[in-house]
Amino acid sequence: MQRLKRVFFGLLLVSFVISGTGLLSACSAPAGNGAKGDGQSNAEKRTLTVAMELAYPPFETKDATGNPSGLSVDFITEFAKAYNYDIVIENTAWDGLIPSLQTGLADCVISSMTITDARAQQVDFSDPYAVAQLALLTNSGSGISSIDDLNQTGKSIAVKTGSTGDIYATNNLPLTTIIRLADESACVTEVTQGKVDAFIYDQLTIYRNQQNNPDTTTAVFIPFQDPEHWGIAVQKGNSELLAELNEFIATSKTDGTFDRLTQKHLPSEKATFDELGFRWFFDFS
Amino acid sequence: MSPFKHILNLFLATKDRPTPPLKGAVNYLLVCLLVIVVFWVSISALDVSFSFGFVGFYGIRIRDGFILTVQLSVVSLIISLVLGGLVAGGHRSRILPLRYLCDAYVKVIRGTPLIVQIYLFFYIIGTAWGIKNRFIAGVLILSIFEGAYIAEIIRGSFLSLDETQLEAARSVGFTRRQTLRHVILPQMIARTLPALTGQFANVIKDSSLLSIIAVIEMTQTMREISATTFQLFESYILLGALYLCLTLPITFVSRLFEKRFNYARKA
Repeated sequence: MQRLKRVFFGLLLVSFVISGTGLLSACSAPAGNGAKGDGQSNAEKRTLTVAMELAYPPFETKDATGNPSGLSVDFITEFAKAYNYDIVIENTAWDGLIPSLQTGLADCVISSMTITDARAQQVDFSDPYAVAQLALLTNSGSGISSIDDLNQTGKSIAVKTGSTGDIYATNNLPLTTIIRLADESACVTEVTQGKVDAFIYDQLTIYRNQQNNPDTTTAVFIPFQDPEHWGIAVQKGNSELLAELNEFIATSKTDGTFDRLTQKHLPSEKATFDELGFRWFFDFS
Repeated sequence: MSPFKHILNLFLATKDRPTPPLKGAVNYLLVCLLVIVVFWVSISALDVSFSFGFVGFYGIRIRDGFILTVQLSVVSLIISLVLGGLVAGGHRSRILPLRYLCDAYVKVIRGTPLIVQIYLFFYIIGTAWGIKNRFIAGVLILSIFEGAYIAEIIRGSFLSLDETQLEAARSVGFTRRQTLRHVILPQMIARTLPALTGQFANVIKDSSLLSIIAVIEMTQTMREISATTFQLFESYILLGALYLCLTLPITFVSRLFEKRFNYARKA
């Protein structure tokens, strides 16, 4: 009898597990559809789940108390307010951003993400809301003063895995050894310690890290590169949200929204970029 | 016996008797099926489709990563065995600084996450001492990490030896060396070998963390590939399967050792 009881409980457990997973699939299906927004309840607030990697100040970062802050956070929050969304920000590691759209865990990604062909095959991008260019942070002792000095056997470059710097190095530096690391600070450390000769990333990050390590590093700018356009990514086929985003981006370019956000988040950087003649992030002329 | 009970018996282990192979296999299959169903239901809930087409394209890189993981693990295991043995011995040393050094080593290494040790060792100690090669740095970090665990396995099994055995050995006139050779070592091997074999599986899994300093082993290879293909799930499913290919046989061997050396307790 004792044994019979045990079997019964075992079977009960199994059936719970199976019905539980069934329930899981049943619940998540409508949630995925709901994200696309249904027209019948316009008065009700919709939820906009935004995935971003909060590790790229001043665009995506956290404030002193750990809340999301930064230029992108302000921008997407203003969008949500304008289009009557309740916003939920999910801090997601870079590698997980595009998969979070594909699985419906997030409705959009705004994370200083450059629009590339490969990414555009996986997700749909909004119109560009910013432009950025790459630069090199070199070890001062490496003797590298241009991108051509770097493209030689025996030279090495650190990149953040999967970043546009990674893509650029893979396509344009066939002779250089590429060291792929998970975060920017490790890449910078590799340069300051001379473990690699250079680090390729966007101009702002390179400029800031050179300021932090003036004795060991040099910033080298890369001429003749295609500017990178940052876009907001949505799940493939989510045209309703995409249209709203594009509308908001177009308005923001003309009504001074980006100037206001620049003054709030990057006033000194703007001044330095102007001085050096670099193209500013929101300069679409 | 009712037919219901007969069917029931197919799923139950008999007390004090080994399960017949066929019965075991059927039940194991059932479990596998259950796991697959749960996994499949979860995946269909996500509404994503899988394509493993990239495996062929990146075949050589995946193979290289696999080989490097095996090399890292084997070399690290050997070094950590030596290190662990020495530390376990040092723990019983009469020289107090040596004893406390071994104690502190085990406590610090076991008390901190491997990721902390990797970053600190590679960027501070490694740089200061000129260890530039990522593979060598990786092997050293992993060996130091696993060495602490192995030291504990050895120390634990030594502590489990009965003090009376040593007295008995002395009373029959064994020298220290004879005691070691005929009394201590055979039992130590019987008690530590299954655990040490199991530890090898841990070394293999722990080596995946070396990806953060760009040692291009299996995990780093998959991270690089998934960064270009964006096929995160496929990459990690394949990665998990590859690790299982390495760890399952080891677990199996560890179990065999467990049975083989169980004689001491059976008597």
